[in-house]
Amino acid sequence: MTSKSKILLIDDDRDFLASVRSVLESHGYTVVEAETGKDGLQKLIEHKPDVIILDIMMESLTEGYSVNYAIKHLDDYKEYKRTPIIMVSSIESSPDERFPISDGYVDVISPNYYMNKPLDIPAFLDVLEKVIQE
Amino acid sequence: MQKSIIVIDDDEAVLLSVNKILSKAGFHVETFEDGVSGLEGVTELKPDLVVVDLRMPGLSGMEVINRVSEMDPYIIIVVITGYATIDTAVEAIKLGAYDFLPKPFSPDELRVIVNRGLEHRQLLQESHRLEIERELLKRQFVTLVSHQLKTPLVAIHQYLDTLKQLGDTPDTASKRQDWLERCLQRTDEVLAIIKDWLTLSKVESGSLTGEILRVDLKPIILNTMEANADMAAEQGITLEAELPADEYPVKGDRNCLAVLFDNLMVNAIKYNKPEGRVSVSVKAQDHQIVVAVADTGIGIPEKYRQALFDEFFRVKGQSSGQTTGTGLGLAICKRITTEMGGTIEVESELDVGSTFRVSLPAYHEKADQEEENRSTK
Repeated sequence: MTSKSKILLIDDDRDFLASVRSVLESHGYTVVEAETGKDGLQKLIEHKPDVIILDIMMESLTEGYSVNYAIKHLDDYKEYKRTPIIMVSSIESSPDERFPISDGYVDVISPNYYMNKPLDIPAFLDVLEKVIQE
Repeated sequence: MQKSIIVIDDDEAVLLSVNKILSKAGFHVETFEDGVSGLEGVTELKPDLVVVDLRMPGLSGMEVINRVSEMDPYIIIVVITGYATIDTAVEAIKLGAYDFLPKPFSPDELRVIVNRGLEHRQLLQESHRLEIERELLKRQFVTLVSHQLKTPLVAIHQYLDTLKQLGDTPDTASKRQDWLERCLQRTDEVLAIIKDWLTLSKVESGSLTGEILRVDLKPIILNTMEANADMAAEQGITLEAELPADEYPVKGDRNCLAVLFDNLMVNAIKYNKPEGRVSVSVKAQDHQIVVAVADTGIGIPEKYRQALFDEFFRVKGQSSGQTTGTGLGLAICKRITTEMGGTIEVESELDVGSTFRVSLPAYHEKADQEEENRSTK
């Protein structure tokens, strides 16, 4: 296990965090956890991860999209603009679809990768490896 | 905004007089002498209403009606004709016309029918808009429900799959027991959501509600306190009640009220601080019986109070993060109080506590009893 990449896991479900952390650590990754989008953005600056795993529905229905947008478009995070983001969610809509919110529609800004929950562990590890090599 | 009307008739005298009447009434009017140019006018102007003659050379009035309602079903079509028969009227209305005005007609008759048509259009547009909003909410709601049900299942699946994939390692050995425990807890969470969901649909369909009768709240509240005493004791929470000596009867259903106060009591215990207090008080006020369930808990941030009674809404915060809930408890409370003709409100101060106040219609021994007697006869 030569990989020393650092992964930032942003998800509001502590159980999901716990199991995915174990999988990642057993494959040699270092894991940083955040339970909210805000906390995630802070940890991004603090820990400078190589990859971000980002949940969509957290405190708000579209929190993951906001975090994705912030990282890719806001000046505060421009240093991390190229940090690959793997979005994960159990809602079966591709991020290309418009996501309904109460006061109209928001355009979804595509993440680098999108995976359905529960994560297929071997496929998830493959994607992760591919993302890091890129 | 000025309403626009298109008039299509091959009789120039009719066009002139209709134009005069409607322009005077404040409408923007455009006139056309045949069906083809009339349809072009409709496409261009997108009027609120079209007045059309049935008998015209070239494109017939029926054809115009057909094309206009295909183009935009919210454009109101009023038919005028000198050859009015029941059959043609029925046919025109089938094709999408709103109403029928036989020639000759008075200016008043025309104005009345046009105004009524425009009111109808507003109604149609309004209900169309509401339908879109509801559709959007429904779409979001389905997403919300499935997310809420999937979240615990995803957590369970991910734990089990991780144990399977990683096999026996010192890491999994040390965590296995804890993870299995979490899996069981999350399974209970799914079961609780389904149970609450069923309760909610029962309240909604009316099958949880029996007859609305005289119910004394005191035994219900005392039962609820007794049922939750162990849970409170485990967390060191004191339950206290300030109940009046007299009976305070309300009009309601016993089962529903029991569910209502149980939900409020459980919340007050769950979202309390260690060594906190839950106090229940009952008082009469303006033909209402007001029950207040107050806790000394973490409080509810103001921005969340509006959505608090929505299905699947849960306040997320540092202190509520560990507490499990289905997100349906307060939705159930709201449904029940509404069903009983009452209201539910919340007052809250961060770090001080929240008070949920339920007002239910009081039972008036004399008047309500007479009514009950009448309805059973």
